Amino acid sequence: MLRIRFHGRGGHGVKTASRIVGTAAFLSGFYAQDSPIYGAERRGAAVAAYTRIDTKPICERGAVAEPDLILVVDETLLADPAAGVRVGCEFASALLVNSGKEGTALATELRLPCPILTLDLTAVVLAVVGRGSAQSAVLGAAACALAGLGPLERVLEAVQRELVELGLEADEQARNLEAARRVYADLSAVPARPRLPASGQVELHRPTLAKGAASRPIILAVGNAAARHTGRWRVFRPVIDQEACTRCGVCFALCPDGAITLDERAYPVIDYENCKGCMMCYQECPVHCISERQEVQAW
Amino acid sequence: MVGEQGGTRRMLTGNAAAAWGARLARVEYIPAFPITPQTEIIESLAAWCAGGELAARFVTLDSEHSMITAAGAAAATGCRVFTATSSQGLLYGLEALWTVAGWRVPLVMVNVSRGLAAPITLEPDHNDILAARDSGCIQLHAETCQEVLDSVLLAYRVAEDPRVRLPVIVNMDGFYLSFTREPVEVPTPQQAADFLPEAQGEPEFRASRPLAQGVAVLQGALYSHFRYQMHLAQEAALAVHEEAAADFEQICGRRYGAVEAYRLEDAELVLVMAGSFATKARAAIDVLRSEGKRVGLLRLRMIRPWPAAAVAAALGHRRGVAVIDQNLSPGLGGILFQEVAATLARSARRPGVLRSFVGGLGGKDISLGEFRHVVDVLAAASDSEDLHGSELLFTEADWQQVQSLVQLAQFPETQAVPSDDGRSEVRR
Ligand code: SF4
Ligand code: SF4
Repeated sequence: MLRIRFHGRGGHGVKTASRIVGTAAFLSGFYAQDSPIYGAERRGAAVAAYTRIDTKPICERGAVAEPDLILVVDETLLADPAAGVRVGCEFASALLVNSGKEGTALATELRLPCPILTLDLTAVVLAVVGRGSAQSAVLGAAACALAGLGPLERVLEAVQRELVELGLEADEQARNLEAARRVYADLSAVPARPRLPASGQVELHRPTLAKGAASRPIILAVGNAAARHTGRWRVFRPVIDQEACTRCGVCFALCPDGAITLDERAYPVIDYENCKGCMMCYQECPVHCISERQEVQAW
Repeated sequence: MVGEQGGTRRMLTGNAAAAWGARLARVEYIPAFPITPQTEIIESLAAWCAGGELAARFVTLDSEHSMITAAGAAAATGCRVFTATSSQGLLYGLEALWTVAGWRVPLVMVNVSRGLAAPITLEPDHNDILAARDSGCIQLHAETCQEVLDSVLLAYRVAEDPRVRLPVIVNMDGFYLSFTREPVEVPTPQQAADFLPEAQGEPEFRASRPLAQGVAVLQGALYSHFRYQMHLAQEAALAVHEEAAADFEQICGRRYGAVEAYRLEDAELVLVMAGSFATKARAAIDVLRSEGKRVGLLRLRMIRPWPAAAVAAALGHRRGVAVIDQNLSPGLGGILFQEVAATLARSARRPGVLRSFVGGLGGKDISLGEFRHVVDVLAAASDSEDLHGSELLFTEADWQQVQSLVQLAQFPETQAVPSDDGRSEVRR
């Protein structure tokens, strides 16, 4: 069985990429299975997707913990332990990162127990498809190339089928197909890494009744998590104009994340570490003294 | 691609398979309310209704409670009804579910299992569907996307049979089936029509002809009579399902039983499971078999009516049986274990040891190592005395993960820790 795992952020198109590979394998007469995993849907959140390919019915489900191939759309995910990019990478015959860096340079930086490849997928998408487009076609084509799925025509058919399913216009389909063609040509199949059969030995943990708050799903820290700052999720930043603020307290009362407090003079103060940028305050301020600024570091 | 049985072979998610089941059943009325991870089902159906591929009336309701009531009311007029929900949505509509089952109307609902709040999750376990266990609805639990589609067709045959006339719920696991594509053979419209003809019989309810159903009885004997009729109709559904399954095999080439056996012939130790995690058990059984362990799987497909005879026949003579429940009744343990144990307690032959495990809560993986643990426990157990309740399948690695996430959420800078006497102390 060949197991492929994709990592990206909501909007990058990793789910469609996993389907492109699934469809290409299916059209080649293999058994295939593809699935995404995500939490509450949000653009910019870490997302993973999986494709499994085999010559017989597949008796695995859910997350791929021992991938043969890992493809990462967004380099910054490598630094986020919660994204799980490194899980099981010792099994991988390649980890492809969408990056302008040299593969060898990144390999030295990351020091992972698997071969690292890089390819600037974003550059191809920008040049051929256009700004703001998803990376599904190029990512799917890259995975097909690394997995040795082919010929090119069948891969492109798989890309097209999935783009049609998404409802893309004909010209956009054509540009994506061209981008997929280029990426497919740039990569070649990587040989599978021999692996020992899994021993399947685990140690069971016997839970005991935890004390106090530890037994309940409750977060007592300010914001949504003490050590994870959701301020990074923001696309827009709300900014209060204190001159115009009447101290009515509406924004303070309505912020769904408790990210607004009142100072000693009852002026609202935004905690940018935890403000998620929902812009509820911006919409509700009766005197419109909250403005929105585009975050430079938008995902 | 043409499939082995003449249908079309495609890559479909469980949600798409459910929608195809409804389309091939030529449903006429679809009351809908969205909820993750089910929404794709009603989205597909809405698109087909708008595009003319499906001649059904699609109506969005204000809640699952209204949705199930509308489904029952429409079914009473004799039209073919399909609906779908999940998790909190199912629970919100629960009162109506009991009511429409009591009306004795045929309809099919797909539930996409998702763990119940709180805490909130989107991933599956079976506490949602088992909360509907005693509603009077028939329950079929699918393991694959193919089985989701086929079960929807089978469900109409069972629901509409005059001996039964009860709602049928087809259950699939969220994510593991709902969002997972795998190859599915979609029967041809002709195959579907041959298997499932137009809804038969005179509609009892029609416009301008006032009638009453679900009437008040206010009298114990009458109430007992009608409730027990539901029980008898459920029991009749066992045979009706068998008949339908035989027809289905003739036409579509796939056979479904109330239970399904995997490598059971010479098995000494048997795992009992329901839903898509049974696929994981199959893989584990193959590995354990290759090591010489005689292990097999009994998958419970039909939970209501409870297939007591099939369960007893499959398990009674084994050395050891372990039920792995993907649900938890706090204060008791696994729910299906109780039903298996009750069946075996009354049967002539009982397994040497019977153990209860709970695993896969909120979609947590059940790994090969955890299956191995279950089998080791069974193999080592020597007598049947076990009053310890259900053991949770939860590894040291899971525990490490929990600890690191709890750290992330409650970093001890400004951590208020309620002390054991209930008062809060704030540490800085
Ligand atoms: S943008 Fe949303 S989260 Fe941020 S301060 Fe305003 S209301 Fe709160
Ligand atoms: S809603 Fe506007 S005016 Fe009122 S306190 Fe907030 S910023 Fe000031």
